[in-house]
Amino acid sequence: MNRQMPALLKPFVLLTYVLLLAPLVIVVAISFGTSPNYQFPPTQLSLKWYRAFFANPEFVRAFFSVSLVLGLLSAVVATLLGTAAAIGLVRFRFKGREVLEAFFLAPLFIPEILFGAALYLSYARLGIKPSMTSLLFGHIVVCAPFVIRNVTAGLVGLDPRLEEAAVSLGANRVQAFLKIAVPLIQSSIISGFIFAFIISFSDINLALFIAGPNSTTLPVYIFNLLLFEGDPSVAAASTLQILVVGLLIWLVQYLFRPRTLL
Amino acid sequence: MPAAASLRHATTSRGRANVALITTDKDQGSTPELEIRNLVKRFTPQSVVGPISLKVAAGEFVSLLGPSGCGKTTTLRCIAGFETPSEGSILLTGAAIERQPPNRRNIGLVFQNYALFPHLTIFENVAFGLRLRRIGKAELIQRVGQALELVGLPDLGGRYPRQLSGGQQQRIAIARSVVLEPRILLFDEPLSNLDLKLRLAMRKELRELQRRLGTTAVYVTHDQGEALALSDRIVVMSNGRIEQIGSPLEIYERPANTFVADFIGGSNLIDAVVMDVDAGATIIRTDGGLTLRASRTASRVGDRVVAMVRPERVRLIADAEVAAENRLNARIKELTYLGQDFQLAIDVPPEQELMVVARACAERGLAAGDQVVVAVDATDVLVLSK
Amino acid sequence: MTVSQPRQRPYWVALVGPLGLYLVVFLVIPFINIIVLSFYTHSPTRIWTTELTIANYIDLMDASFMTVLLRTLRLGGVCTVICVLFGYPLAYFLARASRRTALIGLFFLVMPLMVSAVIRTFGWLVILGRNGLVNSAITAFGLERLGLLYNETAVVIGLANVFLPFMVLPLMASIERINPALEEAARNLGASWLQTFYRVILPLSRAGLISGCLLVYSAAISAFVVPMLMGGARVRVIGRQIYDPLLISYSWPNASAIATLLVIATTCFAFAVLALMRRSARQEQGT
Repeated sequence: MNRQMPALLKPFVLLTYVLLLAPLVIVVAISFGTSPNYQFPPTQLSLKWYRAFFANPEFVRAFFSVSLVLGLLSAVVATLLGTAAAIGLVRFRFKGREVLEAFFLAPLFIPEILFGAALYLSYARLGIKPSMTSLLFGHIVVCAPFVIRNVTAGLVGLDPRLEEAAVSLGANRVQAFLKIAVPLIQSSIISGFIFAFIISFSDINLALFIAGPNSTTLPVYIFNLLLFEGDPSVAAASTLQILVVGLLIWLVQYLFRPRTLL
Repeated sequence: MPAAASLRHATTSRGRANVALITTDKDQGSTPELEIRNLVKRFTPQSVVGPISLKVAAGEFVSLLGPSGCGKTTTLRCIAGFETPSEGSILLTGAAIERQPPNRRNIGLVFQNYALFPHLTIFENVAFGLRLRRIGKAELIQRVGQALELVGLPDLGGRYPRQLSGGQQQRIAIARSVVLEPRILLFDEPLSNLDLKLRLAMRKELRELQRRLGTTAVYVTHDQGEALALSDRIVVMSNGRIEQIGSPLEIYERPANTFVADFIGGSNLIDAVVMDVDAGATIIRTDGGLTLRASRTASRVGDRVVAMVRPERVRLIADAEVAAENRLNARIKELTYLGQDFQLAIDVPPEQELMVVARACAERGLAAGDQVVVAVDATDVLVLSK
Repeated sequence: MTVSQPRQRPYWVALVGPLGLYLVVFLVIPFINIIVLSFYTHSPTRIWTTELTIANYIDLMDASFMTVLLRTLRLGGVCTVICVLFGYPLAYFLARASRRTALIGLFFLVMPLMVSAVIRTFGWLVILGRNGLVNSAITAFGLERLGLLYNETAVVIGLANVFLPFMVLPLMASIERINPALEEAARNLGASWLQTFYRVILPLSRAGLISGCLLVYSAAISAFVVPMLMGGARVRVIGRQIYDPLLISYSWPNASAIATLLVIATTCFAFAVLALMRRSARQEQGT
């Protein structure tokens, strides 16, 4: 549909995108340079800093053993809990349903550092040392709302008559749900899973509070390097993260329209 | 109320005098109020509207009629300025406007779903355009009041659109456009969201309003009854092209081609071959084996043509009446009682089937399977080229 | 499917129960804990004692904390304003664009959001740093280097950059609900684009605007990573005032008091946003 727009809108929007994406573009560009001085644009291209990244055991550990694993675990648990919760919220009517829904979505609105501080204090009071597990528990709280939102949107969009047809053909309600509804909301569940993974993978605020010395996530490691003047292998690590996140989001867009994000 | 006279004001648009006078004199001379010249709008290589050419005289009511996708709405939106033509031009009293932005054209547009501003009162809705032109308070109140009276809703100024019925909203939408004294009023299927009874009532009102104001009107619709009832002229469109332009009578009685014949009213469209052409008529032989005398046409012997016969022009006659033109013996295949009319599907040997509509005469006592005699005047058998 | 018969077993409990319980343990209790801690007395030896006191809150009334608080609120406000200025046109564009354009636009909007704030700020450090892009361009012209980082402007730029999508998404949703014919009607009646925006779009997308402002403001005043990286020691914000005492100097009751205040503020914002979203959903059905 060719909608008319004011003449200056497109250039301004383009400018906004340039400002929005410039930092990322620059980081990616630096990662392919040779100078240790964060040079942009890089005069020579090389994979030097990527080699440095993979050669650094702490970096590799942060990326693969911590962030990746943590992301997957968080996503799995958040998806299980969140999908069940979404089904309960959409398909049943009970007193306080709306309040419960607001409660489940609350972590979306709570700033992560506050949650991080709260968890940190609780763990400290109970004498629990920070570790990957303690961070995992925190991530699940933050990731679940994204799963709930996605699955809810998928369920709400389902035509109830499809399951009614199944029931009229002899299925009971559980069978109808499992055989008809679940396959149809598959894409919502998967995209919820992917979002949960991304949230956990990119989290910095929570990890700063709860991650222990043995469970430094990638963003935290990058943060520390930036504070204490690392070298452009930081850019390589960042670019890898951008790649992972970008690919996953692109994937989600093919499964599901991301207009129900926030 | 002398509506036309009392709405003669000068309107200013941001300091520029933009005088819009409404003349009730239709014989303005040779410059048409609205002219569309070779308008073409290309969406994709497959989807093209045009070339469209049309002249509308001042005060005329012209309908753009056709099925969905025929290009009528695109044409309307080009006039309003919401689509930019790929080629061609649009002239308002001789001045080309196709490059003007839509907010400078002083053309009123009444939308299909009314597009009343939900966050404004009825008064503010109608006053919207006036406020933009910085019309003084006293004059503004007066003009809004007049416009509301014109559409018969003088007391609704304080309400909100959601509190009004569909018909009322439609009238406010009209008032909102009319208060600005546009040179042309465009209507985009304004009645299609109303139920039947309301639609018929609004039709009359709309036409009366337009006549009183004397404003030139271009009206888009897919409803042929509406077009026939409202228009001075109808532009029948299909697939982005104009099929025929003419008065309602011309369109109905003398359709230019099979599309128009089929789209307006019911019709029997019969493939045939021209057998003979003589002084008064053309003799054709249908593919179903009938020989008919048809109206004069420019076709020559041997041409393949399509004969068009309106079902209501096929008369049931008594057996005794031998001297009728195109007298045919037929057998009723199917009979549908429609209250006012009978609809008959008849088989005429050797292999021709015809639809006939006859006024109900219960006394006729007709039933499927009966033999009947029908006749149709040669002038009612139109020959259209294939 | 959603008709509740009286005999129906409460399956929903089994479905929402697990997450509900989980959140109580890992969300509600920690926050209660933090509120309780804020009323405990600070002890240098044992970090806290269970003596109840409001001293922690009174301590916050001192000048240095007030400075930090006001600065945080101010920076949040400026960031919000910038997000509105850049966000409205973007939201309008995406709301009215063709589906394909909107998908691409959303991708490039959401993708930075999902990439860690650290990385995005990293990029700005390179742009604004002493040897960064801007300074390289300036010195190429023979001018003096500028100290563009470690001040409030840099922090605001970083905040606006990170939180812009929070403004665009709700605003876009709001604008999408506005019938495009209303804009055409306004233009047909003589309105310029600016007038159409001011008289039609703005009033009708107010809910989205307010939601966006609350989300951005709430996030901006609780931000920690961006101010730390872009502002350094000179630009202290509340987030820092929570992090330092908590992890570094172990004055937990103090930090808890600050955190509690922030929790109350952001909770109020969150309720306001939810109420707005509910109201606009209801209005949609009414119109």
